[in-house]
Amino acid sequence: MTKVRIISLLAWIALFSCLAQAKQLAIVADKENSTGNVKTADLANILSGKTKSWADGKPVKVILRDPSSRDMEMVFRRVLNMTPEQVRALMQAHPGLIVIADTDDAVLRFVSATRGAIGIVDLYSLTKDVNVVKIDGKLPFDVGYLLKGN
Amino acid sequence: MITKTSSVKTAVGSTLIALGLLTSTLAAAPATKTAAFPLTTKSPEARRLLDEALVQYIDHVAQPEAIASLRKAIAADPHFAMAHELLAQISLDSAEQVAEQKKAFATRHYASPVERTAIQWYQDAAEHKMIPAITSMNDVVSRYPHDKLIVWMASWWLMTQTQYERALAVYEQSGITDSPGLINNMAYNYADLRQYDKAIAFMAKYAASLPGDPNPEDSYAEILRLAGRFDESIQHYRAALAIDPKFYSSQFGIADTYSLMGKQAQARKEYKTGFKKFPLEEMQQVMWQTREATTYVREGDVKAADREFQALAETAHTRHISQVEADTYRQMAIYQSDAKRALQLLDRADAALREHNNATNTAIEQESAQILRARVELAVRTGDKKAAASSLELVDQMAQTANDRLIESAYHGAAAAIFYSEGNYDRAIEHLEEDADNPLSVELLVDAYEKSGDTESARRTATSLADRNDPTVEQALVVPSFRKCYRDPSCNSGLKNVSLPQ
Repeated sequence: MTKVRIISLLAWIALFSCLAQAKQLAIVADKENSTGNVKTADLANILSGKTKSWADGKPVKVILRDPSSRDMEMVFRRVLNMTPEQVRALMQAHPGLIVIADTDDAVLRFVSATRGAIGIVDLYSLTKDVNVVKIDGKLPFDVGYLLKGN
Repeated sequence: MITKTSSVKTAVGSTLIALGLLTSTLAAAPATKTAAFPLTTKSPEARRLLDEALVQYIDHVAQPEAIASLRKAIAADPHFAMAHELLAQISLDSAEQVAEQKKAFATRHYASPVERTAIQWYQDAAEHKMIPAITSMNDVVSRYPHDKLIVWMASWWLMTQTQYERALAVYEQSGITDSPGLINNMAYNYADLRQYDKAIAFMAKYAASLPGDPNPEDSYAEILRLAGRFDESIQHYRAALAIDPKFYSSQFGIADTYSLMGKQAQARKEYKTGFKKFPLEEMQQVMWQTREATTYVREGDVKAADREFQALAETAHTRHISQVEADTYRQMAIYQSDAKRALQLLDRADAALREHNNATNTAIEQESAQILRARVELAVRTGDKKAAASSLELVDQMAQTANDRLIESAYHGAAAAIFYSEGNYDRAIEHLEEDADNPLSVELLVDAYEKSGDTESARRTATSLADRNDPTVEQALVVPSFRKCYRDPSCNSGLKNVSLPQ
């Protein structure tokens, strides 16, 4: 379409097509957090409140966007295999388990300012004030990264 | 096409006019929420030319003129790093894009810290270091969220990354509502998100902002076509031609639209009118001749399609344009029902590529990857696991070293075909999601989601596939039959169980 950046027929034709949005979410932690990688099972325990502290003893504080948003639905489905209704029930049963933020900026601000905080944001909202945590050894853009959808 | 090339890749506007008044203030501005992004040069003339380029590019949809102004700005101050960077971003010459990015990076020390961050963002992106590129972009945006140049740079880059929601967020937070270029970009953003009502509203605003210009009418028509509002689309293409009878992309837009409407004879008539009336650049000629040939694929007339594609391939051979010849044979191969014939055509495609005439190495490698992908899909179809594995290995090797999105997509499409055929739907999904621009992969993705139990993703992906109105061979092969299939429960397809809106 708009992007005549590569002068080859294939690229030219491809760029004039309507391209699908690839959505990726990033797990972010505060800069002091030395956890560079979590397994899917670890993440499930964090989101469900089973894991309450990090290895260094700092309490885990989870901050997310609205759990009924499409992005968070994907997170709970892929990490906990939960439907939106099950997520609502979990939240009602454990008030205060997860802090809800209106925007990715708010998530990032909270995480960068709070020791032990972990959040999930749109990859393209990332700032340098937080660390990106791998999932099962994979970063966003790696093939097979868990929190990727279209 | 002209429309989108020039109009989407434009945007700046009144802020730039304001910047132009500050030419004497060449040092970096303080990074406050209302400050203008600094553009550091020791030459007032270079700065004036850059401001002029941005106004040309954004407000007047005059890309060649903007490129010329940037080149003059660089001549006035060869150390003007942001001028190099902007030329790298808007040039239509791939060699110039690469050369100017290198110069921007090499001259960054003459710029202010935030300009250096902006240049680093593009440099990291060019080197595929995406996480640092993203954080640098957001650093710049957070410091200058209302600067039209920065809003254009970020929203346009995000569009090229297919991050339409984030691009819209940057635009909406900017509070800028008077830039024709940004309005046009947002219209396409909404269209890419399939939010056609908003896309059309933005495009109407864009058209109203540039009365007497055929470009907005052409863009408006394209958005309406993507939305499936074909009759209105044709009206706007005709309006563009009424403003400027030489605005050839609208003539071919009419032809493409008739083809998508299923009116193939009318489409061919319009293509022929276009070829007769307008001299075209070679790539444009090839693209629309391919689409004319595709009208026969849409009719299911393989014999006529073969005749047209073969003529195109022979013309490409005579003109010594190897990649075009190869791609034509590849496209012929993918619509063949006879596997033996398809294999022969892929062999011809490879033979054409080996001649390596008038094509860059990048183009040859991209085409080679597409042919390998087609070989994998064909081998899967015929049950030849050995051939599928060996072709996959080759395209895998290319994907690992090329750092090229088209080659990577070809690899993912090929790998997905194998995993899907083995019933390994989770692994197939991993790869299909990386090739979500190809209708052949998206059709498999719908089914793979369904079979893996992710019915919501299956439903959403199916809706998106059914809505596709791109005039390509792949769309012709997949989408019309897919639409019929999902509306007909008796259809002989694994897709029949997918619940879709009617």
